[in-house]
Amino acid sequence: MQYNDVPNFLPALPEIFMSVICMVLLIFGVFKGNKSTYLISWLVILSLFLTSLFCILGPKDEIIFSNIFIVDDFSIFSKVLIIIGAIAALAMSLSYIRNEGMEKFEYPILIMLSTLGMMMMVSANDLISLYVGLELQSLALYVLAAFKRDTLKSSEAGLKYFVLGALSSGMLLYGASLIYGFSGTTNFETIQAMFDSNNEPSLGIIVGIVFIISAMAFKVSAVPFHMWTPDVYEGSTTSVTAFLSMAPKVAAMALFIRLVYVPFYGLVPEWQQVVILISAASMVIGSLAAIRQTNIKRLMAYSSIGHMGFALLGLSAGTQQGVESVLIYMFIYLFMNIGVFVVILSMRVNGVMVENINDLSGLGKNNPFLAIIFGILMFSLAGIPPLAGFFGKFYVFLAAVDSGLYILCVIGVISSVIGAFYYLRIVKIMYFDDPVDIFEKPNSASMISLLSISGIFTIFFIVAPTPLISWAHHAASSIIQ
Amino acid sequence: MIIQSIAFYIFAGIIIASAIMVISAKNPVHSVLFLILAFFNGAGLFVLVGAEFLAMIMVIVYVGAVAVLFMFVVMMLDINFVELRQGFLQYLPIGLLIGLILLVELILILSSQFEDPQILAVSSLPIPPIEEVENTKALGNVLYTKYIYLFQSGGLILLTAMIGAIVLTLRSRPGIKKQVIAKQVSRKREDSVEIKKVTPGAGV
Amino acid sequence: MLYISIVFLPGLAALTAGVFSRILGHGFVMFITSLSVSISSILSFYVFLKLIFSHKIINENITILEWINSGDLSFSWSIMVDTLTIVMFVVVTSVSALVHWYSFGYMKKDPHKARFFTYLSLFTFAMLMLVSSDNFVQLFFGWEGVGLCSYLLIGFWFKKPSANAAAIKAFIVNRVGDFGFALGIMAIFLFFNSVTYENVFNQAVNFEGKKFLFLSMNLDILTVITMLLFIGAMGKSAQFLLHTWLPDAMEGPTPVSALIHAATMVTAGVFMVVRCSPLFEYAPFTLNFITLTGAITAFFAASVAIVQNDIKRVIAYSTCSQLGYMFIAVGLSAYSAAIFHLFTHAFFKALLFLASGSVIHAVSDEQDMRKMGGLYTLLPITYLMVWIGSLALAGIPIFSGFFSKDLIIEIAYAGSSSISNFAFWMALFAAFLTAFYSWRLIFMTFHGKTRIEKSVMSHVHEAPFSMSIPMILLAMGAIFSGILCVGVMTGHHNSEFWGNSLFVLAGRDLIEAAHDLHFSLKILPVIISILGILLAWYFYIYKINIPKIIANANQPLYLFLLNKWYFDEMYNYLIVNPSRWLGYFLWKKGDETVIDGIGPDGFSAMINGISKKIALLQSGLLYHYAFVMLAGVVLFVSWFLLV
Repeated sequence: MQYNDVPNFLPALPEIFMSVICMVLLIFGVFKGNKSTYLISWLVILSLFLTSLFCILGPKDEIIFSNIFIVDDFSIFSKVLIIIGAIAALAMSLSYIRNEGMEKFEYPILIMLSTLGMMMMVSANDLISLYVGLELQSLALYVLAAFKRDTLKSSEAGLKYFVLGALSSGMLLYGASLIYGFSGTTNFETIQAMFDSNNEPSLGIIVGIVFIISAMAFKVSAVPFHMWTPDVYEGSTTSVTAFLSMAPKVAAMALFIRLVYVPFYGLVPEWQQVVILISAASMVIGSLAAIRQTNIKRLMAYSSIGHMGFALLGLSAGTQQGVESVLIYMFIYLFMNIGVFVVILSMRVNGVMVENINDLSGLGKNNPFLAIIFGILMFSLAGIPPLAGFFGKFYVFLAAVDSGLYILCVIGVISSVIGAFYYLRIVKIMYFDDPVDIFEKPNSASMISLLSISGIFTIFFIVAPTPLISWAHHAASSIIQ
Repeated sequence: MIIQSIAFYIFAGIIIASAIMVISAKNPVHSVLFLILAFFNGAGLFVLVGAEFLAMIMVIVYVGAVAVLFMFVVMMLDINFVELRQGFLQYLPIGLLIGLILLVELILILSSQFEDPQILAVSSLPIPPIEEVENTKALGNVLYTKYIYLFQSGGLILLTAMIGAIVLTLRSRPGIKKQVIAKQVSRKREDSVEIKKVTPGAGV
Repeated sequence: MLYISIVFLPGLAALTAGVFSRILGHGFVMFITSLSVSISSILSFYVFLKLIFSHKIINENITILEWINSGDLSFSWSIMVDTLTIVMFVVVTSVSALVHWYSFGYMKKDPHKARFFTYLSLFTFAMLMLVSSDNFVQLFFGWEGVGLCSYLLIGFWFKKPSANAAAIKAFIVNRVGDFGFALGIMAIFLFFNSVTYENVFNQAVNFEGKKFLFLSMNLDILTVITMLLFIGAMGKSAQFLLHTWLPDAMEGPTPVSALIHAATMVTAGVFMVVRCSPLFEYAPFTLNFITLTGAITAFFAASVAIVQNDIKRVIAYSTCSQLGYMFIAVGLSAYSAAIFHLFTHAFFKALLFLASGSVIHAVSDEQDMRKMGGLYTLLPITYLMVWIGSLALAGIPIFSGFFSKDLIIEIAYAGSSSISNFAFWMALFAAFLTAFYSWRLIFMTFHGKTRIEKSVMSHVHEAPFSMSIPMILLAMGAIFSGILCVGVMTGHHNSEFWGNSLFVLAGRDLIEAAHDLHFSLKILPVIISILGILLAWYFYIYKINIPKIIANANQPLYLFLLNKWYFDEMYNYLIVNPSRWLGYFLWKKGDETVIDGIGPDGFSAMINGISKKIALLQSGLLYHYAFVMLAGVVLFVSWFLLV
């Protein structure tokens, strides 16, 4: 068997471009040393931006590299979202890493490598390419979590994340090997074709799906695979936490969607049961456990668990509408998180970062701009209309109701109400508690502009929701035949 | 055929047994040694299915490099493993229960049906018979062509791992003497040696 | 464009004034609102005159923007202009403009002038929206908008508890009517599948006599709809049973009473019924009910007015009574007569209110007529104004009321049914009482020996120009609006004037019959009124002690009238107290004990407990986490194997 023709590389141009840039910048960094971190960060941001342009302008609806790499509207949507998350996380951490004395040129490069892994994940059309992408992003994230290696917390976070991540990778591989063993293929479309007719799937396949879904649930930090989230969020440096809570979540959720909607689309009733359980547990645990948190990063960890529960609520609908709603949800979630983490990164008193929720007290008086945007974001995260967060929830509930998942929706609404408590508590602390310490002003223009973008998006989403909805619609329709 | 079967069961049995020993041995050095045994038997299984290249790689990479590295680390670190195992017995029953349930369930799976064998035949790439193309060549044929994407991605993963290892461990310690070859070579005689005329009997 | 400016100028002014009042200052706000309303009023007059002299029917519908388009429910913000709308435009904008200018003087010393003018303009805008709507929902929007402004303006002096109470009362009583109105609109949508006038009115004939089953009762569709709509009109126009808010609403500043509670808002009910004449025409039961309600109101309110001592309350009851007249006409399908009376009434009643405001202003905010008297030398212009207004109200020839009010009485006589007969006698008797209480007011306020305290007396002064000129202009209207428009609006060719805006079933039109009545009948109301005037003169000038003797002799009747037929007390007993008790019960027992105990408090305590337990799960130990993950997988796998 000869492979003489050169494969079509063009659809993979964004990934190829990124990996080349990664290596070039790595060499550049090695020669210039850690002083060049700032420059490299901006170069990474620039090249991420270019990559997103390549994604949007590049060819689509192509499957290359002997059917293991797919580019469609769905992958483009996810990639653009991932890149937005990565750019935001990097831009907001620029001054932070300098202040914290962790200015190493590897930092932006690891972020870029992780982003590359995510993009490979969402373009995967095969269990093997899925795994390769997943490992690339995870490995970079493990390192990032432990990046501040001199503090115990950060090392602990990195180690916990690594060990549990390895466990989840093991589950994924175990599930994938079951699938391969029982179906004889790893290709998504071939697997899908097997379940088109209404034949009963074998038990091996179902157990394989359960294992794979468990691994996916770990990546999106859904209950009961969420245990790492609070510890890792709290232990990692805040800028890494910001990154962890945005781009990887989007990538993992996109991969989750593709997995259950492409290869296992014929088995909706089977996987739906598992996703429903995970979703309900995440929503409930996410909102209940957050109530007692005092550390804002831990709180955001539980908040993200809860939000992933809501996204999975849309996913469990098993319809195109469900996919659409999850995409909209993730988009809105990402934009809200940008603002939230800018504020958390601004919690600096006398040169020291503080992470306690009570440290926010009096922010309304000390820094009205920060406080008003943070307050709006909290309202939005709680899902209060007319802010963007409300629409995210609205669409997932709509999709779930249309699929008849009434009980799940009731659970969702109840946990959303409970969740509103701790979001609003932050608003209360900011505006009604006596001020303790005054934060240093966020000193970089990039942070202020990110905060403004996040705030403006949240407030004015209601004015023009149509572009996002129609984009999500295209993306969703591209993976469902 | 019967010999093959016997060999398979011997190899598989030893793998399972040594895997149990890896986690139950008290001495960590013993654990690593059992791990090496498991690797060797794994290589044997590869040979059984005709993947002699993978068998060799297994022995060279896992036994020759990874396991030996493990051994070094285990021997150099002073970790009280007994202390780490505290609470082991406390959690043993429930852990065992869950493990057993999982085991039973996985055994149950074996009884289930395979998917349509016809699709199986179409979907999987026919392995070239060993008589026509040898194992190494067959791998080489697809590695840079069909699996170029995965191969390169694997490279990126390794790169990331390398960067990670360096970032997390490399420290620039000031005041450490390092050997700089260029400096050594470019040294001149005048820089290091000074000739003094010493008058005999006058002292320095 | 012309019509859009008429409607939106006051709205824009209110918006500007409301948002920028602090920046622009009181003077500018007052000026800008008054000016824009005045421009809008001049434009209205232009349109009105064009309509009269061009003999062309105007029928335009300007869509501003699409409002709701959801399935069958589809309508726009729009301005529908026909004769009825234009007449209402003239009434609303001209009275509003004059009241704006009048308020310059009246509200001079008030610190919240800007707010007052903003509300006035906002009210004008809402009222214009109401009258120019082409669908029921926009009508409802305007309806509620004027209700809101009425609430805000009654409670304008928010430091007075009585003003707040009156504002709330007005709001709540109106709510009863609005509930009916909203139900009516919903019923219209239910049966007609549309809320635009055009669609509904065109289909109305198809529904004549059709029935539907409701709670195992077979009800006539149109009767139900029109009754519900009329309940709304009863609330807004203070008809019998829902009238109690109007006298209390006099707590608001007097210009407000003139604009809202005499000339415009309270007539919205009449306007609405007339607007919906194509529906009401097919519901004879409702029409009879309207006539009956109007007749009772006309008589009842007039009877209460003769013993009231508060100058504004007398006029308020008079308004109530006059609205009753309008409904009599409406119920007898004499829509043109109703609108004509609405038109003239707006002028003379606003005049009376403004004049009474001038009196109140002069005597340092005293409203009790027993503490007035002998003012005519001191307030000559005001005195003249009250005379003109009263003459118009009593229907003395030449003055406008003569043409409109007497026409209604004649129509009631011309009607053949027993209901119209009843209405005729009630209206006639009310006319007598009207004349009586009007002149009682004049005599008590302006004649006789003064009962004003010395300290107050020294401050008494005639109204400034800003107040007297609007009054004079209104007086022109009170005198001439009748004689000038009677031919056009209710003459032999009135249908040419009204065009399609009014709809009367063939054979129900009584105006021609009323024109053909014998002269003696036409002069009868005038004679009755003159008798009333004479009686008032006899009681309050000639023999001052007679009222007291009569009151003492008929103590129960006097108290019955003085206490307004005990309606407030009855409502308090029947509705307010039980609901207050129920509310207290639900609050203390239902909410605090049951719901708070089990609900928020119990629930939050429970959540807190659960949350504590969940937080304990997070031990920080790696093998716990790994164990939970594996347990999760086992759980899911078992789920599939077992289920």
